[in-house]
Amino acid sequence: MEPQEASICLAPPLSAVKPPWYAFVLGLAKVVSLSHERGLFRATRGSRGMLVRYSILPGFGLTLGISMAWLGLIVLVPLAALAIHAGGLGWSGFWAEVSTPRVLSAFRVSCTTALAAALINVVFGLLVAWVLVRYRFPGQRLVDALVDLPFALPTAVAGIALTSLYATNGWIGSILAEWGVKVAFTPLGIVVALTFIGLPFVVRTVEPVLQDLAPEEEEVAMSLGASRWQTFIRVILPALTPALLTGFALAFARGLGEYGSVIFIAGNMPGISEIVPLLIIIKLEQFSYQGATAIGTLMLVLSFILLLVINLLQAWMRGRHHVS
Amino acid sequence: MAINISGISKRFGAFLALDKVDLHIQSGELLALLGPSGSGKTTLLRILGGLDRACGGTITFFGEAALGLTPRDRQVGFVFQHYSLFRHMTVRDNVAFGLDVRPRRDRLPRAVISERVARLLELVQLAPLADRYPAQLSGGQRQRVALARALAIEPKVLLLDEPFGALDAKVRKELRRWLRRLHDEMNITSIFVTHDQEEALEVADRVVVMNNGRIEQVGAPGEVYDHPASPFVYDFLGNVNRFECIISDGTAKIVSIGLTMPAIGAEPGPALAFVRPHDIELIRLDAATGDAGGGGVACARVRHIHAIGPTARIELDIEGHRFEAVMDQDRLRCLGVRAGDWCGVRLTRPRLFSSNSAALIQE
Amino acid sequence: MLAKSTASAYGGRPALQDPAWLRWTLIGTALAFLALFVALPLLTVFIEALHRGFGAYFAALVEPDALSAMWLTLLVAGIAVPLNLVFGILSAWAITKFEFLGKSFLITLIDLPFSVSPVISGMVYVLLFGLHGWFGPWLRAHDLQIVFAVPGLVLATIFVTFPFVARELIPLMQSQGIEEEEAAASLGATGWQIFWRITLPNIRWALLYGVLLCNARAMGEFGAVSVVSGHVRGLTNTMPLHVEILYNEYNFVAAFAVASLLALLALVTLAVKSVVEWRWGEDISGRRDQG
Repeated sequence: MEPQEASICLAPPLSAVKPPWYAFVLGLAKVVSLSHERGLFRATRGSRGMLVRYSILPGFGLTLGISMAWLGLIVLVPLAALAIHAGGLGWSGFWAEVSTPRVLSAFRVSCTTALAAALINVVFGLLVAWVLVRYRFPGQRLVDALVDLPFALPTAVAGIALTSLYATNGWIGSILAEWGVKVAFTPLGIVVALTFIGLPFVVRTVEPVLQDLAPEEEEVAMSLGASRWQTFIRVILPALTPALLTGFALAFARGLGEYGSVIFIAGNMPGISEIVPLLIIIKLEQFSYQGATAIGTLMLVLSFILLLVINLLQAWMRGRHHVS
Repeated sequence: MAINISGISKRFGAFLALDKVDLHIQSGELLALLGPSGSGKTTLLRILGGLDRACGGTITFFGEAALGLTPRDRQVGFVFQHYSLFRHMTVRDNVAFGLDVRPRRDRLPRAVISERVARLLELVQLAPLADRYPAQLSGGQRQRVALARALAIEPKVLLLDEPFGALDAKVRKELRRWLRRLHDEMNITSIFVTHDQEEALEVADRVVVMNNGRIEQVGAPGEVYDHPASPFVYDFLGNVNRFECIISDGTAKIVSIGLTMPAIGAEPGPALAFVRPHDIELIRLDAATGDAGGGGVACARVRHIHAIGPTARIELDIEGHRFEAVMDQDRLRCLGVRAGDWCGVRLTRPRLFSSNSAALIQE
Repeated sequence: MLAKSTASAYGGRPALQDPAWLRWTLIGTALAFLALFVALPLLTVFIEALHRGFGAYFAALVEPDALSAMWLTLLVAGIAVPLNLVFGILSAWAITKFEFLGKSFLITLIDLPFSVSPVISGMVYVLLFGLHGWFGPWLRAHDLQIVFAVPGLVLATIFVTFPFVARELIPLMQSQGIEEEEAAASLGATGWQIFWRITLPNIRWALLYGVLLCNARAMGEFGAVSVVSGHVRGLTNTMPLHVEILYNEYNFVAAFAVASLLALLALVTLAVKSVVEWRWGEDISGRRDQG
């Protein structure tokens, strides 16, 4: 709470105490400054290969050095800690932790709900992007701003709002209950929350591509006798495919890891509506660090694979873009 | 001697952009670096301006080694290809920038700066637009702002990268004549990069033709146009007909069209003959029947005549081998040759280059 | 921009105009979807917060635990956002103004926190600094606490909000290129002068937007801080965590009252974003207005 405490913990007087990571920070600083001195990050002359291209602009060593140090301290070291912890488990230990029915069903719930939500978002995200780009209607600016709300609204706020809306006594939930559909406290509720979270990813990925689509291509298609529907299916949709896939992957990745908006609406019944991030928290609260580590590592690997897929998709998108 | 470039090389990864370039630039001259894209001309300009670093060689500016100097210390003005005006500053602020950023001890008083800026804007004929932003100017106006901005720091050398590249044809012509006049008034040593041969030949005192990181030829515009030193220069400067030929016993024979020409003392072997279209003479066939196919005249079919303006372009064909001649409309009318006719062809000023070494064999 | 009719954006190209019934159907469906999933939840926050009247609303806000949660949230964001602002500018400068080996790898690393579950972002710090973590025993021996204390909250927040500023700046600065900076250098400007007088004016709106997003996320982050907070009421509860506790205690009015403040923050963020985009759209999207 007290600010002094924060500053003490963040930056202890190095002369007085030398924590174990002191050596690490010092080492990192040394590596950065040494590589700077030796010109590793500088313009190098011909034969030594061009690690860096000469530029007249200043500050390369400084900005890159600080960026890398910050990146290393805040992101890489903690993630490495997770990886090393996981490595300590060994294969059998790891397998024992993640192969329990509760963990497996949590993964199943997380994957299927994220998948369903991402699919819903592909369809409706495309629709929203289409309407925003192609049509003009009153209140368009407001609608455009609304699309970004899931980015900006804290997830916990979204979680409690969606829950009270879709609970059986809520506005929408009560209507659906008459039809026999229960949303809140079921996997369906998770899908609703993840749809909310993932929407802007699809819309904001598809929108610019749709904007840059040359109308001439569509006119050509129509002048060659294609109907509006054929033009959409055979000219527009293929051009949007990379963007739609990227948006899908982004929404799916976000959905897998989402926590705040889901836990309120999910009901969190082990085996039925318990998601992986919640399970990690439960394990941590039980001080079962091994279990948390194993599950977290598996999640991390999944995220990395998705990140790779997203990067490849984006490269594909850029390639397409340059050709057209 | 204003600038002395010796042995300058530059490598980007595996790509050799400049290969030991030597060049001497006279004080007060307007020099064009001419070449296709990738020939190294812009790289050379950027190294001169201190924006890029050479991998080897030396450069002196007015007798002083320049490679270690910052752009500020070199006292060069650089005009960028896309103008690179500061988009958030007015025209006036753009021009004043170089004077505003001087260290406090060297900085001129405010009044002097604004007086100088006003004078420069007058010079580039933009005084009424001083408070506009770059986005509100036309391409030609932006280019003149860029020039005024570079001149504001009173450079000893002015470097211009494709100064007219992004302008449309008409503005480009006006602006390059204006640049020539400006240079004659101010007499600053200036180097500009271009890929447009017409521009280089019209504006520059001397033209440096570059290709593949090397200088192919340096000379006055008339000299490089009339006496190209290599097949590349021939090809690059103006239209030219290229014939493959074989040299033996002191004569060169163009096999495809059956013409021969003397090549006394030349090594036997394959060679290339270059003939400008206006150096191809057409002869009415009835006057030429006497020696058609003999020493100097070949029989060609007129495929097509493009006759627009004072000159006519005639497409000729000898057994499927096509080439081009250019002549005055009046002369063509006198000859009375039409598309589809046969006529005699004589090459008046062929130049022979060895196929292997690209060396000049004979004028 | 607010056209009165539903005319197509492709008005000048009659062949590409969809018939009115189709247009209306698509617009209607899109709006219904957005209403169900986005607009109504937002509305719910304010309605639930106020449904016992303004008195109950304000009472919930001035309650000591709520106030201390607000103070903590401001403190955490106040530390994390400036640090990530500096980092964002530095890394964007290195990445966009220079060519070097491993650049795309660096960009991927910066994006990393976006693709990691917030729960994991918090967990890694527990593994490092928690009681059973690497440095746990040492920290305990020196009577220092990181996890379940403010430093842990700050670290987790920094991790999560790490990419925002850099992500806004990198595409813009990439599209702006380095020509203006080179021109300034060729006119004799120093590094600082180039940054303050050329680069910063060109990126200010994107920078503002990036900082706003970073701040919105820093104040609203839930998953990551939930792991490292320890949920000590009045001590380590940020606003989103306070919302959770109130909600789980069935104190809905208070929960939504605090939530409404966070929703307002989101709305302000979006409003500023819209205004900035509307007025300086070209500056943000990086579309070049010259040559």
